[in-house]
Amino acid sequence: MDREQSIREYVQAAGALPQRLRQEALMLPREDQCRAEEFRLRAGRPMSVVLPEGERVLSRGPVHSRELEQLVEIASRASLHAVLDQVRRGYLTMAGGHRVGLCGTVSLREGEIHSLSRYSSADVRIARQVKGAADPVRDALCPGGRLTSTLILAPPGMGKTTLLRDLIRQVSDGVGCRPLRVSLADERGEVAALYGGVPQLEVGGRTDVVEGCPKAQGLMLLLRAMNPQVLAADEITAPEDVAALRTAAGCGVTLLATAHGESRADLERRSLYRPLLEEHIVQRLVRIRGTGGQRIYTVEELGV
Amino acid sequence: MMRLVGAALVAAGTAWLGFRAAAALGCRVRALEVMVQGLALLEQELELDGPPLPELMERLARSGRGPAQALFRDCRQALDRLEEEPFPQAWHRLVRARDELGRAGQETLMPLGDTLGRCGCEDQRKAAACVRLRLTELARQAEEERRRQSKVYQVLGLAGGAFLVILLL
Repeated sequence: MDREQSIREYVQAAGALPQRLRQEALMLPREDQCRAEEFRLRAGRPMSVVLPEGERVLSRGPVHSRELEQLVEIASRASLHAVLDQVRRGYLTMAGGHRVGLCGTVSLREGEIHSLSRYSSADVRIARQVKGAADPVRDALCPGGRLTSTLILAPPGMGKTTLLRDLIRQVSDGVGCRPLRVSLADERGEVAALYGGVPQLEVGGRTDVVEGCPKAQGLMLLLRAMNPQVLAADEITAPEDVAALRTAAGCGVTLLATAHGESRADLERRSLYRPLLEEHIVQRLVRIRGTGGQRIYTVEELGV
Repeated sequence: MMRLVGAALVAAGTAWLGFRAAAALGCRVRALEVMVQGLALLEQELELDGPPLPELMERLARSGRGPAQALFRDCRQALDRLEEEPFPQAWHRLVRARDELGRAGQETLMPLGDTLGRCGCEDQRKAAACVRLRLTELARQAEEERRRQSKVYQVLGLAGGAFLVILLL
């Protein structure tokens, strides 16, 4: 990834921090700025930055609760009312696709989270787009230049979302394959990171995104409304999600999804995913493994 | 001749002071009325689509007038410096700078800064409506005062001038 671009992303994410913390964040050496993954703020403790090797304390003084409030104010541009739904889910998306995760005191109304206040800790995840992440697998997933239905399988933190995002971008823009209309059900806003209706991370020029609604409903909405050629969703975890994918496959739509797991056997053991294999709803399986800091991709062809 | 000119100048000066005091009362009434209109617009915008605060302030600065327009415009600018000054603090500072609203008008507007952007649209709208009603009442009182006092100030100015002229002549 371009070093200067990484530093720009770091500085942009640090823009959410109140002045004192921002100054301390900007004092991190540049070689670390481009590797930083997130800022961690806990009331009463010094702020730290998460690097690939672990957390490192950044600030001298402890983070005050009013600084956490200020963080939310800056990230929401003093417009909590416009992001209340996100805050109720524990995060909010900033310009640039960076994401502020929040912890605090929850108040319930009719059994649902009504608000989150008196923040106790927060993290600012720096959005890093890895263009070209899908290059090693693209050709295997696009026999004859057209994408086939694919499931990306990996344990958490291995880069499933990053690979999915780049695949969507390449398929949507027709990079090394036929361009297709992609519809993305981005429940938690992690793939496209919509901000003011504009994806903050590149997902291609032919991609339509629905954000904030449960995946199954989002997939059906996209299927009805957007006439997609490819339907994409991150982290298939519920029977309703699988049911929506089966419906979409029945309509002739190509699927692109991710799931937690390590191997095909892993999928076959779990009743949730079995229909995807048995009914040949997905034709390719991409597994991601990590070895010595490197990611290894394996593409497996599933029987048709 | 010189005495006559001097007397005329004194008379004109005191009359001007009286008229100026009366006009200041009118200005306050107008400022409060314009602020009431500005808050009504704010309520409408919150009811329509509750845009993020920067967009809301921009819209209000475009359609508002006088002190309301100035306040919303300055708030919009303050929203670009949130890392230096939280919005409620900026709102308090900017309201205090609007002298034309008078102390009571400023005190009435202040608490709105703690609500704007910090809770749901409906709660913000209710808070704005509450402040608008109080400002409407203040504007009514100011108008009453203007009607009662402006004539008094004008007459006092003219009479004071006449009295001095008689003394000087």
